[in-house]
Amino acid sequence: MSHTSAWLILSAACCVAAPAIAVQYLTAEAAQKLLFPEATAFAPRTVRLTPTQKQWVEAQAGVRMRYSEQPVWQALADGKPVGWFVLDEVYGKHEFITYAVALDPTGAVRGIEILDYRETHGGQIVNPKWRAQFEGKRFGAPLRLDHDIQNISGATLSCKHIAEGVRRVLALHEVALK
Amino acid sequence: MARMRPLTAGLVLAAVLGPAHADENLFGYVYGAETLPRGASEAYLWWTHRSDKGLGHYAADDLKMELEHGFTDRAQASLYLNFARHDIAGSAPIEDGQPEYPDRHNTRFSGVQASFKYNVLSPVKDPIGLALYIEPGYSRVHKVSGRPQRERSIEFKLIAQKNFLDDQLVWAFNLTPELEWRRFTDTGEKERELELEATTGLSYRFAPKWFAGIEARYHSEYPDFAHREHWALFAGPTLHYGDKHWWATLTWLPQIKGSPADPARSDRLHLDEHEKSEIRFKLGYNF
Repeated sequence: MSHTSAWLILSAACCVAAPAIAVQYLTAEAAQKLLFPEATAFAPRTVRLTPTQKQWVEAQAGVRMRYSEQPVWQALADGKPVGWFVLDEVYGKHEFITYAVALDPTGAVRGIEILDYRETHGGQIVNPKWRAQFEGKRFGAPLRLDHDIQNISGATLSCKHIAEGVRRVLALHEVALK
Repeated sequence: MARMRPLTAGLVLAAVLGPAHADENLFGYVYGAETLPRGASEAYLWWTHRSDKGLGHYAADDLKMELEHGFTDRAQASLYLNFARHDIAGSAPIEDGQPEYPDRHNTRFSGVQASFKYNVLSPVKDPIGLALYIEPGYSRVHKVSGRPQRERSIEFKLIAQKNFLDDQLVWAFNLTPELEWRRFTDTGEKERELELEATTGLSYRFAPKWFAGIEARYHSEYPDFAHREHWALFAGPTLHYGDKHWWATLTWLPQIKGSPADPARSDRLHLDEHEKSEIRFKLGYNF
């Protein structure tokens, strides 16, 4: 086969890409109500980190932060703050996983929810028992697979990236929400 | 969207996705260190097209059908059925005034293989991924000439994989010695040789579900397990797409350099035992 025809095959393969399949389990609003059932309002408090803060978060969490801006809401129950709702994305093997972290006013994880799962494999991360491992975790917790977070066989990449993402959210709380 | 309870969402997702699969091939030639999870299975179709010996006409296709199963979260096994097509006209090397093998135009069942892979270290959890692989095989058609044969082979593979940039950039390296013993059934001639191969690849997730990268393959042969008779280096692009239940990988590996070169064919490539170009397409289906 000539080199030209080989390139044509590669180009043709690019053109027949199937559309991405997005599986949405929760909207942000539904996740907010699940994580803070007592809340009566959610006030947007989008966090915009300075370059220094972003570097600090990355250094503390040990993972990259792709954007300087983080969508955050303060959960209020009759005007009284009851915690933070942080919307985040992490890499799956092929696509992003959208999830939310709920923090209580002291910065401890109250719960996490998976919103959009567009990944080919590793869907077991929505298992409530697996997600419950994060409850009560605070800034400084290792959040490492096979250490304080159990791995799910066949979903290692998703488990690892969610754990890293929660570590990043806890560092963000430490620098911008305390 | 209507609110869905987490447990319900989990059950729906488990029903939709089925078991998770980790042994998706990002490369055409290079193996990754991950294995299928326990209980998961995968069916593959491999098609490798080899062409152009710089003299006459040469085109060959190697077709493999593979069934793979994860027996534990670290150990998997595969069975292969192989077929070979040869379209050869005037491209055989000349020895003592005669072509080493005749022209032929046919497609045949060429043999069977089995493979066993054990994941020692995970490329996602551990500093570097590592796996051991062994593949015994039986072949009744010579890969290059298409001559009828009875060949027994055993291939060993050391697989290393390192992920970078939040696992979006994947590097893998394989070192593969293979021992072969064959008897050509048309002449009774016997051969034995060692094939030593090193492959490496780098692939990056450039868009959701898409990986693109490069692969390189060094291949050499040692007849009678003694001195190196020839070698060839291939390198080229690779493209991978992964969907919910299936994935596909396309790799093109032109020969970059080889030795010894036959001036009648090329001044820089080894084309007696290899070809100018190889294209491999792999299709995998998870179930």
